[in-house]
Amino acid sequence: MPTFNLTVNGVKKAVNVAADTPLLYVLRNNLELSGVRLGCGVSQCGACSVLADGKEIRSCVTQISRVGDKKIHTIEGLPGLWAAKKGLPADKAASTLHPVQQAWIDVQVPQCGYCQSGMMITAADLLTRVPEPTVAQIKDAYTGGPSPHLCRCGTYSAIIDAVQIAARAMKA
Amino acid sequence: MISEPTLTRRSFVKIGGGLVVTIAVLPDAFTPHGTSAEAATLDATKLNSWLEIRSDGRIVARTGRTEMGVGMAAYYRQTVAEELYVRAETVDLMMGDTDRTPDGGWSASFLEGAQNLRKVSAYTYQALLGLAATKLGVPQTALTVENGVVSSAVGAGTQAISYVDLLKGQQFELTIPVAGTLAAMNAKGTGINGTAGMTVTGNPAMKPVSKYTIVGTSFASPSVEEKVTGKTQWVGDLRLPGMLHARMVRPSTLGSTLMAAGTLDRKKFPTAEVVTKGNLVAVVSPDEWEAVGASRAVAATTKWSDWAGLPGHTNLGEVIKANRVQGAKRGDADKTAAALKASAKVVSATYEQPYVKHAPIGPFVAVADVKADGTTTVWSHGAQSQGMRAHLAHMLGVPLEKMTVRWLEGSGQYGRTSLGGDAADADAVILSQMLGKPVRVQWTLQEDFAWSTGSSAWVSDLKAGLDAQGKLTALESDFIMAPGMDYRMVGAMLAGMPELPVPAIGGGPAAFGFGAVTQPYVIPNEFHQGAGARVELMKPPSGVGLRGNIMRTPGQRQHVCALESILNEAAAAAGADPVQFRIDHTKDQRLIDIIKKTATEAGWKPRPSPNPAARRTGDTPVAGRGMAVMYRFGAYWAGIADIDVVPSTGVITVKQFTIGVDPGKVINPRHLKSNCEGGVVMGMGEVLSEQLTFDQGKITSIDWTKYKIPTMKDLPAIKVVTISRDDAGFGGVGEAANSLPQPAILAAVFDATGVQPRRTPLTPDYMKSLLLKG
Repeated sequence: MPTFNLTVNGVKKAVNVAADTPLLYVLRNNLELSGVRLGCGVSQCGACSVLADGKEIRSCVTQISRVGDKKIHTIEGLPGLWAAKKGLPADKAASTLHPVQQAWIDVQVPQCGYCQSGMMITAADLLTRVPEPTVAQIKDAYTGGPSPHLCRCGTYSAIIDAVQIAARAMKA
Repeated sequence: MISEPTLTRRSFVKIGGGLVVTIAVLPDAFTPHGTSAEAATLDATKLNSWLEIRSDGRIVARTGRTEMGVGMAAYYRQTVAEELYVRAETVDLMMGDTDRTPDGGWSASFLEGAQNLRKVSAYTYQALLGLAATKLGVPQTALTVENGVVSSAVGAGTQAISYVDLLKGQQFELTIPVAGTLAAMNAKGTGINGTAGMTVTGNPAMKPVSKYTIVGTSFASPSVEEKVTGKTQWVGDLRLPGMLHARMVRPSTLGSTLMAAGTLDRKKFPTAEVVTKGNLVAVVSPDEWEAVGASRAVAATTKWSDWAGLPGHTNLGEVIKANRVQGAKRGDADKTAAALKASAKVVSATYEQPYVKHAPIGPFVAVADVKADGTTTVWSHGAQSQGMRAHLAHMLGVPLEKMTVRWLEGSGQYGRTSLGGDAADADAVILSQMLGKPVRVQWTLQEDFAWSTGSSAWVSDLKAGLDAQGKLTALESDFIMAPGMDYRMVGAMLAGMPELPVPAIGGGPAAFGFGAVTQPYVIPNEFHQGAGARVELMKPPSGVGLRGNIMRTPGQRQHVCALESILNEAAAAAGADPVQFRIDHTKDQRLIDIIKKTATEAGWKPRPSPNPAARRTGDTPVAGRGMAVMYRFGAYWAGIADIDVVPSTGVITVKQFTIGVDPGKVINPRHLKSNCEGGVVMGMGEVLSEQLTFDQGKITSIDWTKYKIPTMKDLPAIKVVTISRDDAGFGGVGEAANSLPQPAILAAVFDATGVQPRRTPLTPDYMKSLLLKG
């Protein structure tokens, strides 16, 4: 099997997997990053979303051979991403949460929580591009892209609240 | 058996069930690995089966119930902390493991499950107070407790001692009085008894609700932080040494049997293997992606018999009516018929809904490890661990003692696993037994849509009579539901393993006790029937067929849609405002209070429906509003929908939904708000877009492009209105909210257009056809 060199959550990793393996399975099984969730497997729900160079992608349909040298972040890597942006020292970085995660906790967004990994990834992507999104822009972010992000527990209004709180925290 | 609580106190005796200070490390309970053959179940009469106090002051509380996403992980901690006078942050919660939790039980968790831990905590608190009184040499009445520290203000100075110091070096035993049994298959193998679990009995002194400081606050659930940071170990994350990944290859239709299993190209899939048992076909591999690819290859070459026994999804109402089986009755048939005959006006209508799905974001997944002697551990995300244990033990033919179900977080279930079945667990157990290795079975989304149970289609004929003054004289309903209550497991059926029989009377709702439902109104004459339907869809050669099950707010959700809809039609026929019409027909002050408060928040202006500006043509939006109420599990609900309809396109936009609830004491305002908002979104899906479609052999709505649930674009402004009462106990709020959008939006469409839709979903095409007909 071919070797693929990945940068995931700031760490370089080499994995030997079939070239058509979706990134989802590599992250979950080879790199044991279980924050990435399998939902539909066909890019219809967004549960598997991760960041590739800061932009949301669906890891369930992204073959490992197509990842190239893009820097991948999962929700486990969001604190590190934020710490790097703020220039925090390593010891502080370990105890820091990304403002998106903190907002998700403050609002208590998850009900079952299964889809929320992908929801937070979308928020992190959106807030990098649009620091102060309107409700309409938030709705666009969660319904544009390859498919709408789906939550069966119906947490959409909590997500909108949390994105706005995170936006304020990131600006501060 | 019921025994009264007794307290004995001994020092340094062998641990035999007393409350002791235990080492301050997280118990093995919080790691999902390892099996537990030595302890099949806990003795629920022993205190330390329920609670542990650790030397760092943390408290471990155990419940057989599970967190399904409605906030139990917070509520249980709040309840225990309240009665023990400790901080909720110091309570660790262990849920749903059959060998490490005492009481079992199903998913409507707070009303019974938290009541168990509440009483256990109250018994323990009283015992600890007695212990402290002796130790400090003061009367119990002179003691106060805060954050787990007992203080006395008697005599010269304040004395204080923590629970940990009080218990250090000794143990006391407290017998917890319990009634009921854990789940077990009945003697005939036709059903699982004891799914309600065990109940803690007696009446210990408990903190008055008016003195609560933790219940009633928006305590943040620790499980939320774990989910947000990626620390949660979900069932699908479990990896055991030597574990194989499995993907199932399902029959071509719901009734097909296996003719020839497909083969694998060894060069392409070197470590994968095809496994068959009866009609059960699976592909396993140590590598998950190889299992995926190999299962697709095998599926493409596997031959199945033909089957075409389904009626298709159109005209289901007629099919159900033609197969009606008498169920429950409530009220007086003759008097109601006579009153209808004598009425000045009679409104008649038939409402119906197709099959809908629970449709979680994460498909079923399970891990099983079956040892050679039959000792089995299953990691499950179901809502009924003890029931699943009994179900799997029956299937495997092993004594209950050999079966352990460990619960881990999973995607929301919305009721489908509440009866202890309908899951991937059977597949995993069967494969693990055959292969002698731990097996993880991950269903695909398409498989989940096609092979899990749904919420059954129903039809209801209704009549409401009005007198000359526009008051209700009589209300009659005949509600019929397609087969439901079917929690058999696909894996067991396909493999030909022992399973439950097809549910009785076609599994109609009468079997569940909600056969005939009434609403909290005062109507002079009422007659209601709740019937099942003998639809022979469930006995195809494969044994599977189209299966109905309970879903969030089961039975009452459907009944209330029909009953509230005929009430809205009656109000319109009477020329009455629907809010006032309801207030005029009830004497229940809690219902009146929540209707009024919700209407005020919604900006409701009294007038009859339809809207004077209603129209069924045109390219511009026309506004409508509608309402519905319900009573369920001690909680009163009201919902008001404000919508727009564009007649030319048939598109309905819900602009605002106001949902009001009086659940008695509000336990956690923030989580209550979440449940209300989430329920509204889920209910909107049922009325606007959701329908399980199927042809003569198979389910055809098998992904999110074909089974459409609401997205963030569909989200209205949701206003949540609550009334909290200290004197009305606790009501259930994890469900019910999803019941209100359907009748409220059906009424709002009539208000906007003057055309009354009576079946769902209200897709644009269906709306256009309705409005054309007028």
